[in-house]
Amino acid sequence: MNARAVVIDAGANELVAAHVLARRGWNVLVLDRTAAHAEGGTQAAGWVAPAIVRDLELDRHGLEIQRPDPWVTAPVADGARLELWNDVTRSAESIRRFSPNDAARWPAFCEQMSTLARALEALSMAPPPDPMGEGVGALAELSGIALRMRSMGRQGLEDLLRIVPMPVADLLDDWFESDALKGVLGAAGVLHLHQGPRAGGTTLHFLQNHVGCAPGVFRPAVSNLVRVLGALPGIEIRRDVDVARIEVRDERVTGVTLTGGEEIPAALVLSGADPRRTLLSLLEPGWLDPEFVRTLRGMRSRGVVAQVTLTLDRAAGFETLAIAPSLDHLERAHDDAKYGRVSQQPYIEARAGNPGVHAHVQFAPYALAGTSWDDAHRAALAELVVRTLDERVPGFGARVTARSVLGPPDLESRFGWPEGQMHHAEPALDQWLWMRPTPDLARYRTPIAGLYLCGSAMHPGGWLPGACGYHAARQALSGH
Amino acid sequence: MSPRYDAIVIGGGHNGLVCAAYLARAGKRVLVLERRERVGGAAVSEEVFPGFRFSVFSYVVSLLRPEIIRELELPRHGLHILPLESTLTPLANGDSLTQWNDHDQNRRELARHSLRDAEAYEEYGRRMHQMARAVKPLLAMTPPDPASLHPRDLLGMARLGGHLRGLGSARFHELCKLMTMSSADYLDQWFECEPLKATKSASGIIGTLAGPRSPGTAFVLLHHYMGELDGVFRAWGFAKGGNGSVSEAIAAAARSWGAEIRTNATVARVRVEGGRADGVVLEDGEEIDARRVVSNADPRRTFLEMVGEKHLPAEFVAAIRRYRFRGSSGKVNLALGELPRFTCLPQGGAHLRGAISISPSVEYLERAYDEAKYGEFSSRPYLDMVIPSLLDPSMAPPGRHVMSIFVQYAPYRLNGGWTDARREAFGDAVVNTLAEYAPNVKSAILHRQVITPADIERTLGLSEGNIFQGELSLQQMFFLRPAAAVSRYRTPIQDLFQCGAGTHPGGGVMGASGRNAARAILGEGA
Amino acid sequence: MLKTTPFHPRIAALCKSHAWRRWAGYVVASSYELSHEREYHAIRVAAALFDISPLYKYVVRGKDAARLLDRVVTRDVTRASIGQVLYTPWCDGLGKVLDDGTVARLGENTFRMTSADPGLRWLEQNALGLDVAIEDVSDSTAALALQGPYARAILQQVADCDLAGLKYFRLMAARLRGVPVTISRTGYTGDLGYEIWLDSAHALELWDALIDAGAGYGITPAGMLALDLARIEAGLMLIDVDYVSARKALIESQKSSPFELGLGWTVDLKKERFVGRSALAEEAQHEPQWRFVGLEVDWHSLEGLYAELGLAPQLPGAAWRMSVPAYAGGEQAGYATSGGWSPLLKQYIALAHLQSRWAAIGTQVEIELTVEHRRKRAAARVVPRPFFDPGRKRG
Repeated sequence: MNARAVVIDAGANELVAAHVLARRGWNVLVLDRTAAHAEGGTQAAGWVAPAIVRDLELDRHGLEIQRPDPWVTAPVADGARLELWNDVTRSAESIRRFSPNDAARWPAFCEQMSTLARALEALSMAPPPDPMGEGVGALAELSGIALRMRSMGRQGLEDLLRIVPMPVADLLDDWFESDALKGVLGAAGVLHLHQGPRAGGTTLHFLQNHVGCAPGVFRPAVSNLVRVLGALPGIEIRRDVDVARIEVRDERVTGVTLTGGEEIPAALVLSGADPRRTLLSLLEPGWLDPEFVRTLRGMRSRGVVAQVTLTLDRAAGFETLAIAPSLDHLERAHDDAKYGRVSQQPYIEARAGNPGVHAHVQFAPYALAGTSWDDAHRAALAELVVRTLDERVPGFGARVTARSVLGPPDLESRFGWPEGQMHHAEPALDQWLWMRPTPDLARYRTPIAGLYLCGSAMHPGGWLPGACGYHAARQALSGH
Repeated sequence: MSPRYDAIVIGGGHNGLVCAAYLARAGKRVLVLERRERVGGAAVSEEVFPGFRFSVFSYVVSLLRPEIIRELELPRHGLHILPLESTLTPLANGDSLTQWNDHDQNRRELARHSLRDAEAYEEYGRRMHQMARAVKPLLAMTPPDPASLHPRDLLGMARLGGHLRGLGSARFHELCKLMTMSSADYLDQWFECEPLKATKSASGIIGTLAGPRSPGTAFVLLHHYMGELDGVFRAWGFAKGGNGSVSEAIAAAARSWGAEIRTNATVARVRVEGGRADGVVLEDGEEIDARRVVSNADPRRTFLEMVGEKHLPAEFVAAIRRYRFRGSSGKVNLALGELPRFTCLPQGGAHLRGAISISPSVEYLERAYDEAKYGEFSSRPYLDMVIPSLLDPSMAPPGRHVMSIFVQYAPYRLNGGWTDARREAFGDAVVNTLAEYAPNVKSAILHRQVITPADIERTLGLSEGNIFQGELSLQQMFFLRPAAAVSRYRTPIQDLFQCGAGTHPGGGVMGASGRNAARAILGEGA
Repeated sequence: MLKTTPFHPRIAALCKSHAWRRWAGYVVASSYELSHEREYHAIRVAAALFDISPLYKYVVRGKDAARLLDRVVTRDVTRASIGQVLYTPWCDGLGKVLDDGTVARLGENTFRMTSADPGLRWLEQNALGLDVAIEDVSDSTAALALQGPYARAILQQVADCDLAGLKYFRLMAARLRGVPVTISRTGYTGDLGYEIWLDSAHALELWDALIDAGAGYGITPAGMLALDLARIEAGLMLIDVDYVSARKALIESQKSSPFELGLGWTVDLKKERFVGRSALAEEAQHEPQWRFVGLEVDWHSLEGLYAELGLAPQLPGAAWRMSVPAYAGGEQAGYATSGGWSPLLKQYIALAHLQSRWAAIGTQVEIELTVEHRRKRAAARVVPRPFFDPGRKRG
């Protein structure tokens, strides 16, 4: 009988990890907290790495990636719209109406961003570099990275080191003058991030969101990855079960215990639950060094997103719509969040779904000052979104027949996103690469032998669905 | 005909003086040309009102490199630094938090607010000490260019890599955190007491258009922690006679080795002939030859004004245009008829002899920043104050006092511009804020001097009033300061060097840029 | 301003020498009289009264109190009976000593921990997920140590119960002239002695009661200089002097494991989990690099170094706390960290760290000594600790 591996949670990362293990002979059981096909969880946002598609033969199993075209529409004053397309030239045409200068610079901008994103792509598709690594393997890995960096050329490397830490507002101010264009682009620098565009590290985020996209496209693609993975044979998935504890003996994992008391022995446990929950709630306290615990507790999540779903009685009238009229709009929206308030003038990214409209709203911070998320807050947010969209799309408000809001605590309870943070660990500069989610955990291993972390908190983050699980599974395989 | 001078230093700010002193010490014939009537740049003491000496701009000393103090024999030339032993943070409710240099006193005071923080403070101090020691060698290093294949850079990278790996995992990771986090987030990991966090995180916003919650401010926090006084890190002091005496001591040292210093001499441009700098031209037309020219002016003034775009590669000009200044600081200097009486400390005491910080909470600082972001000065700003006359009686007449107030934020790009009226309104905002904590201050003011970023730019030539000759942000630090390929104190023009804070390791009254530049020049040979 | 202990009014009145020093942010007396000698002798001849209030003290209560402490310290706390006191070090995750102190079981789910350095943060960090409450009672609990052959007799005068049954390293509640206290049969002098713990509010009342009761027995308020010499005679280490806490060490080599401090007997590897266990388990498999030993300096050798200059030996009157190199076999074997002339034993003794190969009892070594501005070496011998261990200590 093959050795048993348990994977906790059933998102893209966990399912990819499960299949990678299964293909190497492990008997894999996936434990999913949600009932089958919970809404919102089957759509994966982000680029699916070719290595994963290839290794798991996803093309043959119906993987579909939606690339909306235009990838964003932004209403500008007086009914005009800025539309940005998959085709760089077509986008330039649209931009020209607002600023001929910006249109002229658009192709060069797209090219530079593509080059930088490619460098990040390479970093994302390998486990994080370990600057402190000892031994031939680690040094070889570091040299490999150094060579790859060098192959970018002098200018390319300088650009990478200079641009990545920048605030996205500075980057965009360097290139463009049109507020509408900068707003729409700047939004990609703060998606799911508790920062405004003037904050350092937002260009990194902007570029990570660009990885895998065509030049000039700055929104992650959406795919049916999770559904495809769920249907792939080779693993067992049990739905609607919750893990209460991860069992340990002599600092080695021995299995898990479910909330009902059922014990499932396993030689390997990969947890997609966020690191804090995995190591501080699911483990009996005392196994971990206090300094390690302290660092882990310092891991920041800080979700700022609410998902608003609007049911309409007819078509929305747009495929995508972004309310991000300027960098200052984004910055002011973030200001509110800093003090524990929902943005009075939020950034909204709305997408026509089947049916209705799904709106991504920022900033709706997890921690509200002096109060907490309740139905009144949810209703107020829905009203704010409808009103804002109605201002830009005349008659929109009248078409809305129902509204539902998932605030950060709802995202937390429904999808296991700590504090409503899609990336589990905030995708900030100090929680990146060998620091992600904490330096001790960056290599997917935990202090408990046989216990690995495979969720979005790990490298390379939630931008690339399945990638964290992919690396984690491979680490687990090499560890055994 | 060989030029009279081996080097002309443009700008008599402290880095220029340091550079000149090291060059002169090595036997070079050096001429320093200073636009104003006195040397020192932003490190000057002026008797703005009769009997009252102000450290007009920079007002405390800590970052001045100990090796410079030693090598230039500055104590012999009159430098005397008096330690600041405490930092007082008054609070709106009449309470206060004081941090003391004495370990036991500090613990006792902090325990009043939070027992946990009292314990954490010691560990924090140890950790920061380790970080300062880890970073210290990097200050004197000429930053290697990772994109270059030149053996010197490869060797530099190897050394840098070796140094970082030698720190061990714990310290290396801590350093990574300090380089990338916001100062508030970093301090949240250690402390719970709000005034403590705010006062400490304020070092992360000095001279910076960013708030305590902006990533990158922990780096500025670490930068300001690098100060050493008599071997103790994070110790701040006040120079007897004001910060001008720092510059005077360095100037005296330079002169003692034969350097010439001319004041009231404004350089209009660097003379470039065949891709080489061979002298300068003053505003009045006078031309002075030199074997090489060293500019202590900031990169924008040096390259875009004094050299001129036509002599420089287009890429380089674009990089210098991208280099950001965005001044955000102001200064208010007061001549007082009596000491301020703080509501939280009606009986006065030793607290007044240290630094006084208006930083009651992180939110307070963040809101001050928010206003500046959108082009206003903070209506309730962050203030860092010292009363030099309590340490050095020569600064004011007996019974009277001077007070130096450093302010964040006063953005260079103010909506509507820095008019005289706006300057006064800014001064009022500062005084009103202080008066909330020390109500007698308004009636105690005999004279007031208000300095805005526009004033800093106009008086000192610091572009956009940025006190560091350019922001201390990651994208323009180390080998990127002020631009890649010119971070070694050289420039695209042969025999033109730069020695100001617009080079590594950046600003504060450090002198490191000046020293590193001199050493780079001397390494070149005659 | 420095803090003063609850006993300060009495101490200040008696401190004729005005010789004060700091201890954990408090002002304490180095000696009361112009010289510490009489106070020292009182420890061995009558009874010395020490104010030990500056110790850090924590009360740990709750269902998981034993679990918490057991997780933190190296000894097995879960098997400690009510009324038992354990002397123990505790370590960081790498098995290096952070501090040493005592854990006393006051009740089924109530413990009191004492330490030399603040320890609240460490306890709280280790308490994650446990049902426990930690209270810092350092300032609110006053403490006295009464040490010497008449200590029991004096206490019996004021106690409401029979102290004869209070065994070595055990603790009991009692009332001393009506003042509620706990008394532990512990101390830092290696002699018959008791430590008395009470609420600060009653401090002066208790002090007065003891002085009154002890008058006939020669009770002597004594300061830190006297205590220092006695504890060296007892072979007991002092943090920051004899070892560096792992949290304060600037470099690795400054840290020590319990094995290197002669505290291997406190490390219970049968415990499934405690902080530092895996590192200690590994270290236990071979000889520790260092050992903490006693040294007895050869008098003739010492005397000779002075004699050759025409001087009589000039030894400091009080114990010293310095790093003094020790040599053997032509190399530096280690270093002494505390030492001094013991008037009781009439010997020049020291506590030292020696590399294991030089640490066997009886090994001949040399310690450094400066005589008339010149570095000299005096012969010394490794001897067992404690130097002084009277039967009455446990009897």
